[in-house]
Amino acid sequence: MEMIDRYIYAVTQKLPQSQREDIADELHSLIEDMLDERVQGKNITNKEVEEVLMELGNPKLLAQKYRGTKKYLIGPDFFDSYLIVLKIALISTFTAIFLNFIIHCVINPVSILDHFTEFIVGLVTALPAAFGWTTFGFAIPDYFGEIKSKNLEIGMEWKPSDLPPIPDKKRQIKYCDSILGIAFYTLFIIIFVFSNEYLGIWIFHDEFSGVVPFLNRETFSSSLLFIILILGIGIIKECLKLVYGKWTYKLVTYTALVNLVSIIAVFIMINGNAFWNPDFLLELTQAGLVTENSDAYRTVSIIWNQSTLWILVLLVIGLIWDVIDGLIKANKK
Amino acid sequence: MNDAKEYMNKLMQELRRGTITIGVLSQLSEAQYGYSLVTSLGEKGIHVEPGTLYPLLRRLEKQGLLASKWDTNEARPRKYYLLSETGKEVYELLIVEWQHIVQNMSNVIDVQGGDKDGDD
Repeated sequence: MEMIDRYIYAVTQKLPQSQREDIADELHSLIEDMLDERVQGKNITNKEVEEVLMELGNPKLLAQKYRGTKKYLIGPDFFDSYLIVLKIALISTFTAIFLNFIIHCVINPVSILDHFTEFIVGLVTALPAAFGWTTFGFAIPDYFGEIKSKNLEIGMEWKPSDLPPIPDKKRQIKYCDSILGIAFYTLFIIIFVFSNEYLGIWIFHDEFSGVVPFLNRETFSSSLLFIILILGIGIIKECLKLVYGKWTYKLVTYTALVNLVSIIAVFIMINGNAFWNPDFLLELTQAGLVTENSDAYRTVSIIWNQSTLWILVLLVIGLIWDVIDGLIKANKK
Repeated sequence: MNDAKEYMNKLMQELRRGTITIGVLSQLSEAQYGYSLVTSLGEKGIHVEPGTLYPLLRRLEKQGLLASKWDTNEARPRKYYLLSETGKEVYELLIVEWQHIVQNMSNVIDVQGGDKDGDD
């Protein structure tokens, strides 16, 4: 008889506290009924008990039937958005590792085999991690958000007149463009955070011997905040495009706002003190790439000193064009 | 041939899942406890395992189609289930729908059978 208690315990311990006792009582009387029918008045032995329990089946399965829990990690409600985010995560992870591989190969081509091994190891560890974290991030809200599916059903009423018009090809925003955009922004963030020491002029004396950096090393950590902010804004913009799927006036307005914020952030960052490497020209000379007072030096120094202005001009033109382009596309009917 | 049987088993499982509910509702205009329901359905040719029926009874009770009451007067306490008012209504509606299905399905199947006979 002890086995019956153990069986019932195995079933009920995985059920909500409020139902445990009731289900346990009901199972008890069920098992006794089944035993009675089996022995027809004779003594009950362990053999019969085992047979009856075998008939009821695996306690885990029985508990599952009582709970009626879903047998999936990420339900249909979330699955589409899960796939999109998963693609983004995998593409950006792969690109980052691949670029890291390429950079290391250029810097030190002799040990290419080592780099390749690192590349493979990186892929094998990072891709499953990206996959795992994305899945984890979606499984958690799905697990706790049981009410949500009911809420979604309310929004399921529709009339044929509610159907959105087929977007004009010219107004449509390509889905893969936005994903590629997000992947690139993520990639740049990763480069700025982890590989910023390679941003500059690479010096080769027979082999790679150092970098003359573009950016000021001392103020880099505060610049980095702005850079992440600006790239993050870019990611938000691409997400908006992904959500809207086509150019509308609303989307153009949001894009304009977001672009304005990033222009302001870039201005603050570049005009703030010491964003660029102040010793850039000196270091170039020291590295032996140019000699002072030569024509080449003058050219480089003109380019270097004017670069801030030109970068700003190009950026502003680019971001304004982004808005105008959206406006033109939204206008097409 | 084994494949065919496997597919049939899967489809039968889906079919049975719905019909068992109707079978259960049909028997509960008078109060019964779980195991007596297993027996009475079994006698009528509907075989349902206790491990499936008990959770189903609970789900139907939670949905409000059944009402339940513990009878502790006898030597063995048992939980009795009975159709609620909603349950009765749902059952009446289900019968009509079921008869439609039977009729329509037999129309479809008979036509196919007729063709076969014609070929022979």
